[in-house]
Amino acid sequence: MVKTRKTKIFIFTFLFIPVIHLLVFSYIPIITNIYLSFTNYNGVNPPKWVGLRNYERLFTDPQYIKLFRNCLWYMLVAVPQLIFAFVLAVFVNGKFRGINFFKGILIIPYLLNGVIISTIFIIFFNNSGTLNSILRAIGLGGLAQQWLHNLRLVNPSIASISIWRYYGLNFLMFFGGLQAIPAELYEAAAIDGCTKLQEIRYISIPSIVHILFINVLLSISGSIQVFEIPYIMMNGANGTATPVIQIQQSAFAEGRVGFAAALSILVFIIVVIAVSLQKVFDKRGDISQ
Amino acid sequence: MIRESRLYRVLRYAFLIMACIFVIVPIIPLVFMAFKTGSEYSSTSVLVPPQNWLNFYNFKYALRVGNLGKALFNTAVILAVSLSIQLLLTTMVSYVLHRFEFRGRKIIYTLFALTMFIPVVTTQTVVFQIVYRMGLVNKMPSVILLYSGVNIVGIYIMFNQLGSIPKELDESALIDGASYYRIFGSIILPLMKPACTTLLIINGIGYYNDFYIPNLYLRKNIQTFTVALHKFFGNTATPFEIVAAAILLGIVPIMIVFLFLQRYIFYGLAGAVKS
Repeated sequence: MVKTRKTKIFIFTFLFIPVIHLLVFSYIPIITNIYLSFTNYNGVNPPKWVGLRNYERLFTDPQYIKLFRNCLWYMLVAVPQLIFAFVLAVFVNGKFRGINFFKGILIIPYLLNGVIISTIFIIFFNNSGTLNSILRAIGLGGLAQQWLHNLRLVNPSIASISIWRYYGLNFLMFFGGLQAIPAELYEAAAIDGCTKLQEIRYISIPSIVHILFINVLLSISGSIQVFEIPYIMMNGANGTATPVIQIQQSAFAEGRVGFAAALSILVFIIVVIAVSLQKVFDKRGDISQ
Repeated sequence: MIRESRLYRVLRYAFLIMACIFVIVPIIPLVFMAFKTGSEYSSTSVLVPPQNWLNFYNFKYALRVGNLGKALFNTAVILAVSLSIQLLLTTMVSYVLHRFEFRGRKIIYTLFALTMFIPVVTTQTVVFQIVYRMGLVNKMPSVILLYSGVNIVGIYIMFNQLGSIPKELDESALIDGASYYRIFGSIILPLMKPACTTLLIINGIGYYNDFYIPNLYLRKNIQTFTVALHKFFGNTATPFEIVAAAILLGIVPIMIVFLFLQRYIFYGLAGAVKS
């Protein structure tokens, strides 16, 4: 335990600014938000207590239930996204000719921002865009669709962009996990005459299964926070709004800060659940090692 | 090492080539488009290459109209200032929390760790009011302020590095009469360079690409690169081949950075995952 005055002053000077920043921009806002979610605050007049009315609207108005239904599409596409990233990590893990070339190409989407990706996929999904042109070129013109204007297709279409955008991050995490496996394990397996497939089945997969689980929960918590792609591409139109788009709309365009706060708290609760599960599992992974 | 069978190697290349096609195909029409003339754009398929690869008209137009150069400069300023502050604060917090036992240490550490549960998007209704009352909305310091905070990922990365710096080093310097500030500045900080590089890359890419915060706080006068691109993109009067050129220009800076830092990005990120 620290005793001297000098040391205490040192600790204080090093912690003061970061802790104040933390309180002012994270804890005070989230606590204030909990309070505001029970009021009709509009950003100007003093807030008035309305009880659970904001939450009631969120749970009963189909318009707002749809916001969360849209998130389900983003969770769904996480399945092929994670499988793709995993297979990629297994294949890239090793020594072979052209490895740096492949890594360089495969990392590109991770480096691009939401505006760039939105533009790329506007071109991709447009009526005379990339996807339809390719379908027509290979004789499948019958499958060409108005991807962004068909109300049934628009959400799965833009949600699938997440695969392209985020697989790189999952891939890097899996790759990091595979690189952390001690080389002796592979050597021992080689001596035992283990095949590549067995190696993947009995060494690679068990070693990174906890990273897979973390990625699943990251995807869930990410799905609930989707904002950029539907906002930039569609401005939330055609039923593509997500909870975060609605928060921004309600709080900053309509002045319904109390309602936006309630929606924020709901998103917050879902994220808390996802991240807690992740922590619980992470701890177990540590113990087993 | 286990011998990779011929079939496995063939499978690997087949899969990787398919993956590269999956990545590249959506980007190609954008590249084509950026070099097409207006009439060419409206008359040819997106899959057809431009007639003249040396047609730079769209790029010149985008640079002149879109304020992109200025926006890129703003982004560079914001990144330089906020990443420097964040790096300094993160190393300071991590050093104190890692090396000293004091009352409240656990509480402070937990406060930082629990921010994982508080996504940025759930607090902006209130944070906006705070920033507004500070008079910073539509001014660069608003974004810098929000970007400068210490986050738990940074602390993890620093802890990892601090664990490999022997405590005897601090202690012997203390016996030699150095102050804690001195020990931090001339012994610890230089040894934390690798961790700092990792943090710089992760948050550098994140902040460079961030759209949410600058879109909320910088609506007038000052724009970051992503916001300027978005304004450009959202303006329906702008011909789309010009937008394509602007977007392509937007890809260039990050690709250049990537080419120089490729090694660090790969192993830095993978290493951060490991820790």
